[in-house]
Amino acid sequence: MDATGQESFLEFVTNRSTALLRTAVLLSGGDRHAGEDLLQNALIKAAGRWHRIDEPEAYVRQILYRQQVSRWRLKGRRKELTVADPPDPGVDARTASGADGTGAAELRLVMRDALSRLTARQRAVLVLRYFEDLPEADVARLLGCSVGTVRSTTHRSLARLRVLAPELSLLDPSDDEKPEQQPPSRDFAPVEVRP
Amino acid sequence: MNVEELVRASLREQAAGTATAPADLAGRVLTARRRRRARHLAGAAVTTVLVVTAALAGPGVLNSGEASTQLASEASRGKTLTHVDQSPPRDLIAVGDQALAAYFTSRQVKQPNRDQIMTRTYSVLDQKTGRYEVDARWAYLTVAPGMRTAAVLERQLPVTRIGVLDLLTKKVTRWIPMKGLDGGVGAVQFSPDGKKLIATTYDKDPFRTYWSKRIPVNNTEEPQPVACRTGFAIVDVETGESDWHALPAFTDPEYGRSFGSGEWLRFNNDGTLVYEFINMAPGRIFRDLRGKEVPAPPKEKHVNLVMAPAGLSPNGELVAGPFAGGARTTATEVLDPATGKRAAKLKGQELLVWADDKRLIAWDIAPGGKEFDNRLVLITIGSDKVVSLSGARTPQDNSPGRWEPIFARR
Repeated sequence: MDATGQESFLEFVTNRSTALLRTAVLLSGGDRHAGEDLLQNALIKAAGRWHRIDEPEAYVRQILYRQQVSRWRLKGRRKELTVADPPDPGVDARTASGADGTGAAELRLVMRDALSRLTARQRAVLVLRYFEDLPEADVARLLGCSVGTVRSTTHRSLARLRVLAPELSLLDPSDDEKPEQQPPSRDFAPVEVRP
Repeated sequence: MNVEELVRASLREQAAGTATAPADLAGRVLTARRRRRARHLAGAAVTTVLVVTAALAGPGVLNSGEASTQLASEASRGKTLTHVDQSPPRDLIAVGDQALAAYFTSRQVKQPNRDQIMTRTYSVLDQKTGRYEVDARWAYLTVAPGMRTAAVLERQLPVTRIGVLDLLTKKVTRWIPMKGLDGGVGAVQFSPDGKKLIATTYDKDPFRTYWSKRIPVNNTEEPQPVACRTGFAIVDVETGESDWHALPAFTDPEYGRSFGSGEWLRFNNDGTLVYEFINMAPGRIFRDLRGKEVPAPPKEKHVNLVMAPAGLSPNGELVAGPFAGGARTTATEVLDPATGKRAAKLKGQELLVWADDKRLIAWDIAPGGKEFDNRLVLITIGSDKVVSLSGARTPQDNSPGRWEPIFARR
């Protein structure tokens, strides 16, 4: 990397690293150190091709996602499941989803915990779909898989969340914005998922 | 709230709670990279030999691609370039001082939660070839006078830095970081001398409409925008220094927020004031560069940059006026800046930019066409002659491929 390249690389990292770290930490299930590690590796890869990259941010994000998914392939799933504590069974969704706001926050904590216990691929799909708000086709392109795979992984991940956090099944389905696409009977009952 | 919304809220909350990245991250990356590269030194040595051989074989290579190439817009200076068969344009269109520097098309991108983002695709003049090329990298783009550079904003507005794009190399030569402001930048415009930028700042994407704010429209429902302007920054392009001032979206004092008001801010005619469009009389507020409301400058009392973007003529003797046609005819007018009275009635539908003191580039309906079947034309004060500059746009308003021009001084 020449001096100009190095300067633009430093500038990019200074400006965008916090936003990228957020995504990396989400992908790592809330583990800050794993997130930093993931981002650092992605940046090392990008630095090697810096002068050929037109859109550094998109490029680094793509590395983040793919790297995370391939890590999952290398490591296997069991390790992922041992990272976090089990969700607090004391939280009752009926009070948790109450209108006072405090309960909602507790429910989000339960959700955060459940998210950390998904596999890396499941989490990557949810982060892309619901945090980056990307359409299914873009998610498929980024992860290098088919749209059908994205769809089924999203469905299975949400189902898995309901198994990990049974409190979520008591959420009120009438507030759903797309009831016709997600019949409450299927979507809000705990779904059995084979390990 | 359903599970998907909870996932979304939970991820957002978690992201917001993530502390900033370590300050020495870039340094760590470069050090780690150097170590990794050292391991591959033997392989690299072979490559170096190959590169050196190539350089010796072709000394002329070093001179190619240098910035001495003349700009396409400069090479044709003084000439009138028209392409009446092209819509959207493919080759440079230019008259007098002005050239079509870029254009954009828009489409509504539906989001998973049924929000919509009006997304632009810019086509920018390639200053080497004189042709317009799609550059899909940018959410927002504006071209500097002289047409050597453009200011660009990356996708996913609002953003915290402004890119300076070289129109010869199509590379971003510099990023201007925006600090000390609320939210991020969602729109930019150059001052007439090209030395400053006005960056309007927002706390949300200004192009996004929200399903949660939907209203019934005919037999369906449409998502609506929310007020999200936080203020504006005046940026010195040379030094990158910026000066931010809070200026929330204009609110109708009587009825609350009025969506008809354009939230983005522009410079006035000479770049000494800020021009804020509002949808109630008198249609705009002039502010100093710190955001304080000031009286309209005498020559700009009748400037309406929304109805007639051309504004004041280069010599300051006329002001472009709004549509002045009837139900079945098109016409425009130019006004006396002091009185606001009509100085002349002209052809055209909307006056876009002054080509010089006597001629304007405008939209006008193609002969025999309908309301939205319009093309760029050149009209002259005191003459009925209309010169077509481009082909006619598609006849549907807001249909895909319908392009909006961006002019700059060449």
